[in-house]
Amino acid sequence: MAPEITASVEHGRTGHGGSPHPRVGVVKFASCDGCQLTILDLEDRLLEITEHFEIIDFPEASSSRSSGPFDVLFIEGSVSTPDHLRRIGELRKQTRVLATIGACATSGGIQALRNWADHDAYRSAVYPRPEFVESLARSTPISEHVPVDFELRGCPISPDQLVELLTALATGRRPQLRDEAVCMECKRRGVVCVMSAQGMPCLGQVTQTGCGAICPRMGRGCYGCFGPREQANAAGLARYLQASGDRSAEDVGQLFAGFTAYAEPFRSTITDLGGTRGARRSGGGGGGAAGRGGPGAAGRASYLPAKPRMEGFDDDGH
Amino acid sequence: MITAELTRPERTTTAGRWYLERSGLETLVAALRADGRTVIGPTVADGAIVYDEIRASSDLPHGVGDVQAAGKYRLTTREDARAFGYVVGPTSWKRWVFPPLVELNTGMRAGHRVEFTPTRPDPTRLAFIGVRACEIAAFDAQDRVLDSGHFRDADYAARRKAAFIVAVQCTTAESTCFCTSMGTGPEVEHGFDLALTELDDGFLVDVGSPAGLELVQGALAGSMRPATPVEVYTAAADVAATRARIGDPLPAAGLHDRLLAQLDHPRWAQVAERCITCGNCTLACPTCFCTSVIQTTDIEGNAATNERAWDSCFSPGFARVAGGSFRTRPRDRYRQWLTHKFGTWWDQFGTSGCTGCGRCITWCPVGIDVREELMAIAPPVALSPEPARVEPVAASFDDFVVAQVVGTRQETADTVTLTLSGADPAFSKGSLGQFAMVAIPGFPPLPISISRFTVDGIELTIRGAGPATKAMCALKIGDQLGLRGPLGNNWPLDRAVGRDLVIVTGGIGLAPLRPVIHALAADRRRFGDVRLYYGARTPADILYHEEMRAWASRGGIEVNLTVDRAGPEWDGNVGVVTQLFDHATWEGANVVAFVCGPERMMQATANTLAGRGVTNSRIFVTLERHMECGIGLCGHCQMGKYFVCRDGPVFSLAQLGDIFGREGI
Amino acid sequence: MTATETATSERVYEVDELTRVEGEGSLVLRVHKGKVTEARLRIWEAPRYFEQLVVERTPDEVIDIVARICGICPVAYQMSAVHAFEDLFGIAVDPEVRTLRRLLYCGEWIESHALHIYLLHLPDFLGYESAIALAHDDRPAVERGLRMKKAGNEILATLGGRPIHPVSVRVGGFSRTPRRSDLEHLRAPLAAALEDARETVRLVRGLTAPDFEREPRMVALHHPDEYPYNRGHIQSTDGLDLRPSDWDRAFREVQMEGSMALHARTKEGATYLLGPASRIVLDGAQLHPVARELLAETGMADAIRTNIYWSILARAIELVHAIAEAIDIIDAYRPPIEARVAWASRPGVAAWSTEAPRGLLFHRYEVDERGRITAAQIVPPTSQNQGAIEDDLRLFAPSVLDLPDAEATLRLEQLIRSYDPCISCATHFLDVRILRD
Repeated sequence: MAPEITASVEHGRTGHGGSPHPRVGVVKFASCDGCQLTILDLEDRLLEITEHFEIIDFPEASSSRSSGPFDVLFIEGSVSTPDHLRRIGELRKQTRVLATIGACATSGGIQALRNWADHDAYRSAVYPRPEFVESLARSTPISEHVPVDFELRGCPISPDQLVELLTALATGRRPQLRDEAVCMECKRRGVVCVMSAQGMPCLGQVTQTGCGAICPRMGRGCYGCFGPREQANAAGLARYLQASGDRSAEDVGQLFAGFTAYAEPFRSTITDLGGTRGARRSGGGGGGAAGRGGPGAAGRASYLPAKPRMEGFDDDGH
Repeated sequence: MITAELTRPERTTTAGRWYLERSGLETLVAALRADGRTVIGPTVADGAIVYDEIRASSDLPHGVGDVQAAGKYRLTTREDARAFGYVVGPTSWKRWVFPPLVELNTGMRAGHRVEFTPTRPDPTRLAFIGVRACEIAAFDAQDRVLDSGHFRDADYAARRKAAFIVAVQCTTAESTCFCTSMGTGPEVEHGFDLALTELDDGFLVDVGSPAGLELVQGALAGSMRPATPVEVYTAAADVAATRARIGDPLPAAGLHDRLLAQLDHPRWAQVAERCITCGNCTLACPTCFCTSVIQTTDIEGNAATNERAWDSCFSPGFARVAGGSFRTRPRDRYRQWLTHKFGTWWDQFGTSGCTGCGRCITWCPVGIDVREELMAIAPPVALSPEPARVEPVAASFDDFVVAQVVGTRQETADTVTLTLSGADPAFSKGSLGQFAMVAIPGFPPLPISISRFTVDGIELTIRGAGPATKAMCALKIGDQLGLRGPLGNNWPLDRAVGRDLVIVTGGIGLAPLRPVIHALAADRRRFGDVRLYYGARTPADILYHEEMRAWASRGGIEVNLTVDRAGPEWDGNVGVVTQLFDHATWEGANVVAFVCGPERMMQATANTLAGRGVTNSRIFVTLERHMECGIGLCGHCQMGKYFVCRDGPVFSLAQLGDIFGREGI
Repeated sequence: MTATETATSERVYEVDELTRVEGEGSLVLRVHKGKVTEARLRIWEAPRYFEQLVVERTPDEVIDIVARICGICPVAYQMSAVHAFEDLFGIAVDPEVRTLRRLLYCGEWIESHALHIYLLHLPDFLGYESAIALAHDDRPAVERGLRMKKAGNEILATLGGRPIHPVSVRVGGFSRTPRRSDLEHLRAPLAAALEDARETVRLVRGLTAPDFEREPRMVALHHPDEYPYNRGHIQSTDGLDLRPSDWDRAFREVQMEGSMALHARTKEGATYLLGPASRIVLDGAQLHPVARELLAETGMADAIRTNIYWSILARAIELVHAIAEAIDIIDAYRPPIEARVAWASRPGVAAWSTEAPRGLLFHRYEVDERGRITAAQIVPPTSQNQGAIEDDLRLFAPSVLDLPDAEATLRLEQLIRSYDPCISCATHFLDVRILRD
């Protein structure tokens, strides 16, 4: 299926309220703040960008607050509490273009590892009075709750991809966010494959590009923080990793149980390989809410897109 | 003996063979740098041999070897200190002549005006040290893709032209190597400025260009001396040993047809289960040239920069248009890669896209070996012991169609080729090895092999042995004769697709095989090595002697001749034809043989071929029997259960079984 | 931000959502008849269960996972974890590896301090809602901050692949160490950053801070030979001296009444202050000479000790220190022979403290005989500082009660920001060793 655009900020646009620039918000759900920090990390490009966008709500950076409406809203973090569930619907209503930033918002984040556990058992094992803890059984991506127009992958997101998205939004064109494997970036940069040359397991083949292949460049295997790329053959890689090294199904499952574990097909691969170790130990049995066809799948609202509707190449095929 | 191989570009002649002391390597690097070049060569980095800048010869990987297998690469320590004792690593020279990211142009928009500024290539002058035969083949392939024809890649052309090439002969090989199968190595034969063969204490140096010669006579002169015969011999023997070590891992003859006939093979889906479609193979490949343009703009959208980046047919986005991708499934993308690389590349560029370097095998993270996939999807064509039957088109016993002699050519003292026109149009559908019943009133009609099919007729090559054949030989332009045919079956050339072909014949027996040679020379790449062994009574009796030179030089056919009796002008082989391949080095496992001659000669040939491993089902002979009708009605030509005229005259030995050569059948 | 007056003449100041802090928190201050009856910094970040997420993982996996507790100071989390494991496993890393880790930490301090000073804190002093608004009037100042921040991030990216959640820290060393030439490009931006940092000290010195004096108990790592990042002993202004692995011999986490929040206290129940001000006080003699000299020039060492608003100056001094030390390290760098030494796991308790930009960060892991984690405790600086913050709020609040509500709450918020609270970090303290209490 071709990606379909549902929203864009048109060229020569005027924002809400007659402002000449798109009105932007940056909000967070369950997250480490690293992705919104990437906005501030744009450093020498930051001030130029603020001249083309009116940032009306960005609590990490400004005391000035707004509850919308937003031309563009960046959401960091996963939906993880009942309050998040309530807020996400409201925010979507106030927003023309919704962009999720980072692994938590696009896949549920590292905290989604709890989705394999029995949440109640997990929570009461930890808290003496779990009733105080406002937490949902599963940590889920934003797209599981509301339509998402653009997504930036990564834990954290790539500053270059962020600039590309902002530039595209400012100029009314489509962002060029490639959906190829990390391997492509590795090879372009002349990095020696750590899997072939050193026998390290590496998820680069099934992981979407954007990071700049930093893990192989740093001499280690990719841990998948940009999440599965389109049609990622995670099962094929898992089979090879089991067959080619001294690795149990459980060992291989753990490789996928990282920062984008809950994104398909990593999710199914982990479940097929027996779930996560931590979940088994905490009494989740490994299947938990993340299992195929389990509560995870059933709890999904029907109107929601399977994946964000804009990603990768233009409709023009470039 | 005339030998030539069309598939290899011409050799570059070398101005002598030189010997460079090991310490001269430093002189070489220094000289290239002094020439203002950045020297790129093998270095050790991140557990692999990586091509990178060489500032001194000590940067080279002295004493480092490698072990390679599907999906696996490890460096090893050699017992010696050779600088080039490894096989190709992950980088290819593509990185320097066709970089992963090249700025193409910038565009500006100001008000109503737009402006585009091409980014002109400004290549650094480079020198490449350690270029292997398969890598030179990759340059050749890239030259054809990027720097020939109407549209050329100026950036590539400039970079390529600016590079000085120091090639290295391979004296080691890994399990992933298959240059021998692709016909690209291991011998470096052209396309270099200097070529080194590494010996224990130094290098044998061949000069391949004026620039190379200048270096040898200039900066390197003090470090060099003429090579001794022992050094020359040792170098050649080392490379020959490499060839032997590699063997022929991927019998590639006819691969184009084999592969393109298998677009629906179930294996495509099976390999897609294993393939991660990561694209590593295509980016590791030294010839893959697919790219995408990446545009970046300023935040106003008024200034844009376009860059060309390596891309891959394995990425889903590569074939995407509005409405979706053309190659949605991983199997489609794998098939696209393999069929292009080994198949349609021939149609587009006249060569294979594969050089046999093995990078796609080693650097496939999940260890998929293209050779295995190719052999599973497109194995060498299976053999049936029987040639296909050809339905005769002119089948009436009593009818002859009149044709006219439009040309005659005296082939030898007693043999003439007649060019006939106006024959039955059925002859236009005739096939290789068929014969015609030829009639001149007053003589008995005779079966004569068709030695060529022309636009509106045929050629017959006739040896004037008896009254009828002498009468035919005496025909002049404008004379007429009667023809019936074409008759009989044909040489099963389809069985030789994807295999090596050996043709053994003598005397006039070459005539029915001449159309075979024409056919395969016209479609040479479908076949492996083609060797013709031909014997004549004397040098003057060699049929089609001039034409043979073209078969060799342009047809890619190895022609081997022998005579029974030589004159003083003959310095070639003397003896029976089977002796010709007594000393040949080829193995018979992938050979199909066509044999035509007297039955005793064919028997002897069959024995020799069997000794080389050519099985009976792959040896085809043409039998001579008395034929009057040519259509299986008169009974003269029976041989066991066969009518030779109708079921033959071409048979496999497997078909004939023990009646072949038996006396009195 | 609201202030309401109830029928019983009780005033409640609330900051629903603190801004210009990392993460989400709120402030409630209850005043009854001119007396502060409750001062509470509430953190309502969603629980992410990190101490459970690391269970059954391997030490190297833990290093990657705990970084995600905080996007502002991931290196601190990686450092405390890696040192804890290396201490348990008896691993001696190459001295150059240790130096590179200091360099990595310098990068994070530079990035974090520049961020906090210019983007989060300075607008408070100058009366702007944000640095973006400040940039309209004083673009060079904001650009100066961003330049330094970039120089720090460049260090992180060079050593770890990227500034946020770098990837190269491994038990036993690094997955890859740079060549000398890889560090060359850092030299010029750092040299410029050092000038920027000096300018920052001058700028910050000229600010006006509210009068607010108190003498908190200060805690930091101390090492006789170096300004503390990842080694030294835990010391305090009242004479504590502990191995970095022994934090829990002097401190403990307690559950606050009516909340799930865990605060850290001394075993005696006292609050304490971590961070730049504490380090300047305890480790001022170990500052880089350039920074030490500047500190002396400002004559503000005592103000830093007694007035938390001057933490911005402490941060500026540390910025100078981190930049100057980074330059020294780069100039003297020789690549280690081995990026990473081989090691074997052994069962036991792995614990260590290092100095995050915001203060002491304690990690404790129980490792089983298979080399996997069975339990974890992570005590970030913000949850340790929370008691001190609330103490200060109680002390400070009466001085603002006469101000208009909006200004009063702003001053209170500003006080909180002086601690550079990292609420994203603090959130995981919802996890819970309460069981053990």
